[in-house]
Amino acid sequence: MHRLFPEKLVTIITNDVLEDKLVACVRNRGASGYTILRARGAGSSGEQTGMLDIDTNIKLHVILPPDRMSGLLDDLERLMKQGYHLTVYVSDVSVMGPEKYQAPMR
Amino acid sequence: MSGFSNLLIPAVLFFGLGFLARVIKSDLRMPPDMAKMLSIYLLMAIGLHGGYELGKADMSTALNAVLWAVILGFTLPLIGYTLLVMTRRVDQMNAAAIAAHYGSVSAGTFLTAIAYLDNQNIPYESYPLIMLAVMESPAIIVGLLLASWSRQRLVAAGSQDGAGVAVLEPGGGNGTIQKLLHEAFTNGSVILLIGSMFIGAIASPSSVAKLFPFIDEIFMGVLCLFLFEMGMDAGRRIREFRKVGAVLVAFGLLMPLIGGTAGIVVGHYILGLSVGGTTLVAILGASASYIAVPPAMRLAVPEANPSFYLTLSLGITFPFNVLVGIPLYHSFAVFVAS
Repeated sequence: MHRLFPEKLVTIITNDVLEDKLVACVRNRGASGYTILRARGAGSSGEQTGMLDIDTNIKLHVILPPDRMSGLLDDLERLMKQGYHLTVYVSDVSVMGPEKYQAPMR
Repeated sequence: MSGFSNLLIPAVLFFGLGFLARVIKSDLRMPPDMAKMLSIYLLMAIGLHGGYELGKADMSTALNAVLWAVILGFTLPLIGYTLLVMTRRVDQMNAAAIAAHYGSVSAGTFLTAIAYLDNQNIPYESYPLIMLAVMESPAIIVGLLLASWSRQRLVAAGSQDGAGVAVLEPGGGNGTIQKLLHEAFTNGSVILLIGSMFIGAIASPSSVAKLFPFIDEIFMGVLCLFLFEMGMDAGRRIREFRKVGAVLVAFGLLMPLIGGTAGIVVGHYILGLSVGGTTLVAILGASASYIAVPPAMRLAVPEANPSFYLTLSLGITFPFNVLVGIPLYHSFAVFVAS
């Protein structure tokens, strides 16, 4: 049986022009890393086909310890209040090697 | 009208084919990054070519063209904003974002106009090209200023709930003006176009001439591919017509006529350009941006709805300019010249 440890996974789906802003939040809140995927889909901003710059979505994954999550969520909430369209959800995940998620990025 | 039969050039026909493919729901698809790559090529090629020509051009006319490009870029969004607010169909934030698109320019439309003029062997000056490069930025600045002004007024009016206060600075911090200018001038397409023009102007003419197979001979073919894809995109967006509403669609058709007329006045009466050059300045006034402005607005004016400005600029004004506008502005330029 493997040893697994509980962490939080925050997933954000939004337009790729917001990438720099989101990465800054993620860094400032002491996450140990993040992963960005390109995404396509449709929603309140219309269809996002990925054909043009303005039309490309990203899906950003951050795994972080539960006690560091609320700061990041505050930042995201503020962005949403400013009018940015973000899809944000949080999941409970089990990770191997929890020490990997402890050290903030430099 | 003979002007319309001159639209039978491959670039425009491919635009039509792309549009048709979408309307009949063909399964034709382009690789995801193709339009981005093609637009990088087009900006680079036109920049190098224009810089090469400008190296031989008259500097005082060039500076005058830059001045008038800035004036057009600042004035057109103000006209657009006023018209949009008068329609009462969109709020001020959306009006600011849409207006910024109409003050800026569409390189795709400009290049189609060049293909149109080349096809009829109509000569044109290289000055409109500098104007193309210059006109990307002022409209972004005006759009952002209009948006922050509207935002402050909304907050001052004690709008709706407490959430109104939180939207004060979407730039997210201090130094908003610097950020705004940074955004407007470091925009990718501005850097690419101005940088390529600069390289074209200072590189030794014989070395630029070696690039002609790349920047000249395959240019029209790449433009066909680009317009093919843009036609597909326009065909997709035109279905969002209903969301936008008749009044905004009317704005998308009226605003290019206002901008085109302003361009004719500047091109012919102020800069004293030929018929070809005047047509190109008219296109600059008439066209609406869909590469540089939308990301800037999305970042800085999150309150505005992207499907409004994208549908208008890509789904309505772009096809209108390519199919109707170019021959129209050309005949108008011929008329004022005679």
